[in-house]
Amino acid sequence: MATTTHDFEVRLHQARDAVALLRQAIGQVIIGQGEVVDQVMWGLAAGGHVLLEGAPGLGKTLLVRTLAQCLDLRFSRIQFTPDLMPSDVVGTQVLVMDPAQRAAGSMFQVQRGPIFGQIVLADEINRATPKTQSALLEAMAEHAVTLAGQRLALEEPFFVLATENPIEMEGTYPLPEAQLDRFLLKIVVPNPTEDELCEVLARTTGRAPEAAPRVIDREGVMALRAMCRDVAAAQPVLRYAARLVRASDPSTGEAPETVKRALRYGAGVRGAQALVLAAKAVALCEGRAHVSFEDVKRVARPALRHRLIRSFEGEAEGTTTDTVIDALLGTVGTRPPSVEAERPRGAP
Amino acid sequence: MGERERFHPLFERWARGVRRRLLARRALTGLTVGLALAVLPALLAWETHHGALRPLCALGAILGAAGGLLVARRKRWSDEDVALWLDDRLQTDEAITTAVEMRHRADRDDDARAVVVSTAAAALGRADAKRARPAVLRPLHALAPLALAALIVVMRSPLPARPVGPSSPGETRIQIGQVEGLKRVAELGQASARDGAQKQRLETIARDAGKLRVDLEKGLEKRAALDRIATLRDAIAAERLTLGEGERRAGLEAAVSTLEQIEATRGAARALGDHDLEKMDREMERVANAREKHDRDSARKALEDAAAAAKARGAPDVGQALEEEKKALEEREKRAETLRDLEKAMEDSDLARPEQKNEADGLDRKESDEAARALADALGQALEKLTPEERKKLAEKLKQQARRGGIQSDPQDLRDLAEDLSTPEGQKKLEDELKDLAQKDDESPEARGQRDLDDAERSADGAEGDIEGDGNGSGNAGGDGPGGEGHHHDTGTGAHDGKTEAVPGAGTLKSRAHAPTNQAPGMPGTTRGWTPGRSGGTANVQGTGALGAAGPGEVNGVDHSDVPEEYRAQVRQYFQP
Repeated sequence: MATTTHDFEVRLHQARDAVALLRQAIGQVIIGQGEVVDQVMWGLAAGGHVLLEGAPGLGKTLLVRTLAQCLDLRFSRIQFTPDLMPSDVVGTQVLVMDPAQRAAGSMFQVQRGPIFGQIVLADEINRATPKTQSALLEAMAEHAVTLAGQRLALEEPFFVLATENPIEMEGTYPLPEAQLDRFLLKIVVPNPTEDELCEVLARTTGRAPEAAPRVIDREGVMALRAMCRDVAAAQPVLRYAARLVRASDPSTGEAPETVKRALRYGAGVRGAQALVLAAKAVALCEGRAHVSFEDVKRVARPALRHRLIRSFEGEAEGTTTDTVIDALLGTVGTRPPSVEAERPRGAP
Repeated sequence: MGERERFHPLFERWARGVRRRLLARRALTGLTVGLALAVLPALLAWETHHGALRPLCALGAILGAAGGLLVARRKRWSDEDVALWLDDRLQTDEAITTAVEMRHRADRDDDARAVVVSTAAAALGRADAKRARPAVLRPLHALAPLALAALIVVMRSPLPARPVGPSSPGETRIQIGQVEGLKRVAELGQASARDGAQKQRLETIARDAGKLRVDLEKGLEKRAALDRIATLRDAIAAERLTLGEGERRAGLEAAVSTLEQIEATRGAARALGDHDLEKMDREMERVANAREKHDRDSARKALEDAAAAAKARGAPDVGQALEEEKKALEEREKRAETLRDLEKAMEDSDLARPEQKNEADGLDRKESDEAARALADALGQALEKLTPEERKKLAEKLKQQARRGGIQSDPQDLRDLAEDLSTPEGQKKLEDELKDLAQKDDESPEARGQRDLDDAERSADGAEGDIEGDGNGSGNAGGDGPGGEGHHHDTGTGAHDGKTEAVPGAGTLKSRAHAPTNQAPGMPGTTRGWTPGRSGGTANVQGTGALGAAGPGEVNGVDHSDVPEEYRAQVRQYFQP
């Protein structure tokens, strides 16, 4: 047993070091955006898909491309446009004329689409029609596609990173809430700070930078994902996640006033699952074998922000889902009241 | 032992410590609340005069502590709560909580469990115990000593005066904090007494007066209070009349008869017959300070004879009183003579001062101790101002007077006086003696005792007035009202002619008569003097003293006596006010 424990500890440390290396490697290409990179790491470790939202030119595509380089995984990119068809995503059958077998005539052959990559960048996902979006989202959920009556499994690790532009809404097809739910995390990419922008300018207007090194291979990623599931979460932590999710439902008594006013629907079971899984990923990335309340708090925004549906009043008031989540974190206690009452005043 | 095996006992030890402190804090909180709440019923018990219940209120503190323990028991922290607390205080990212939960889940025996338990054990092993201890004391607990002090004060405080309860119809209750008149009566125990028996009686009166004061403070029915005051007053009055009464009456009569035979002591005889020993003393004071030596000699002789007669007729107390009076007479006489001779010597030496002469005339005129004391004071002051030559001159004059005669005091005394004056030390001694004389009270012990009794009786009268006044304002309705203004002097100028209204209940004695005694010499065996009356009584047949001491058959003695029917109306009329 002691030997096993030691092994797990070693693997934990290895995972932490690998994530740190990955972060460092990405940092050689991506300037700033540390929190975004971290959240992408969580998504990768947790085995979920990530939706990146941000203005054009903030490095979303570059981030995904760099990540793919660092992971030594097969990368594919789909640029979503209104005329993009599902077959352009999942693939199609094409008629192949084989000169060697002229007698036999032509035959259909499966042509796999870009979804068959391991790291898939779905760029500007909200520009495609719902039909095409659904094809992608189905593949994301099932980790498989059905093509010409054949069910084809997607190669693991299968990690989709979709991007969307929040400011150009003309001619877009916003993702339905039910489909947004398929993304484990929704990461908001912020504008760079002045220093970060200067660094970006310096790097991008000179000689082309060196390619990011490969730091983790496929097996490493798979091991990371397997370990993430092994991270322990105590009942109080699970209850805290459940309370947060229940409090986000404006129809329950536990909901704070902000939730009741600004939300129409709260997060569901998938939200709670995402919360715990992402928290486990956080713990793993930090080399811990257990989840803390703080982990849950850290992942609350990216895990829940796309699962909360604002009410008319909330939209009219301009209340963002991040504001609501902050209110939830401030209202829902982590520990039982009897323990909370004992804490010294002013304790964090 | 590995970290995993170490975790279980480590956590148990920490959990015990945390729970123990929580238990102590809750018990202390319960004790504080119990103490604070116990003050209220204790105050209520104090207010409602249930003093014996106050110690029971202290049980509130014990009940509070027990309640605190009960609450602590019911709210006992589970292992999970303790682990969450420790994680929070030790900042271990819920490692302990996770480890505790996994400890109970034997089914999950994976690698992560082992790592978590190991991490938690390590965290507990290096933790600072002080950091993870819940506080035992809270600001609320500061109330505990305050409440305890308040409880002790309430328990030790004397109960407040009971309010006067509602009176029955026709009943008037009074409540008076301090009755000054009774205070004087209560001090009678320290008054000078003739003998042990009188001392005992005076102490009984004083004790009764003290009890009455206490009862009046608590509240008393007005009639009962007045009755007890009347009883006290009667006891005092009876005490005034104990000299030569009863079996010793014959001795008193003999002494009175003896003193009446001499002109100088006739007034004293009447006073003795009236049992007015103060007056008798004043009569003897007058005789002692008079210039006429013959009167003093005859008075001294009369006192001697009267004392002998009293003793011979079985009244040793009267005899002793007269002997003390004679002794006082001699001291006063000697003082007056010495002062007069000294004054005369100074006058003859042209050393007398005008005020000194006035005081000497005053002594001749007033013939009182007060005048003698004033003369002694004046002479003392005059002596202080004498020069050595004047002092020698005065000494010579005193010696001349002693040789020549015609002086009142003993010549040897004058010679001694002259010797004293010859030296400054002697003069100082003489001045001191004169100062002593100026302050000396020559009153006889019997007169002093009687004066104390008189004061006490007057005080009892005052106390009765106080009670009457209070009663005006505290009738059935109020009980403890502010009290009325009592009697007041009528300064009106209305017409005073008219006729006296018929007195209701005529035929009964309505006032205490201070009837003058017959000025003529009393016949042997007759009753002399007066006795205080009581409402409803007239006299007693034997005249043996206060009516309060008379038997039931003696009250209204006139009606029951052997007076002929034709005189009965006249006798009754005599006693009517």
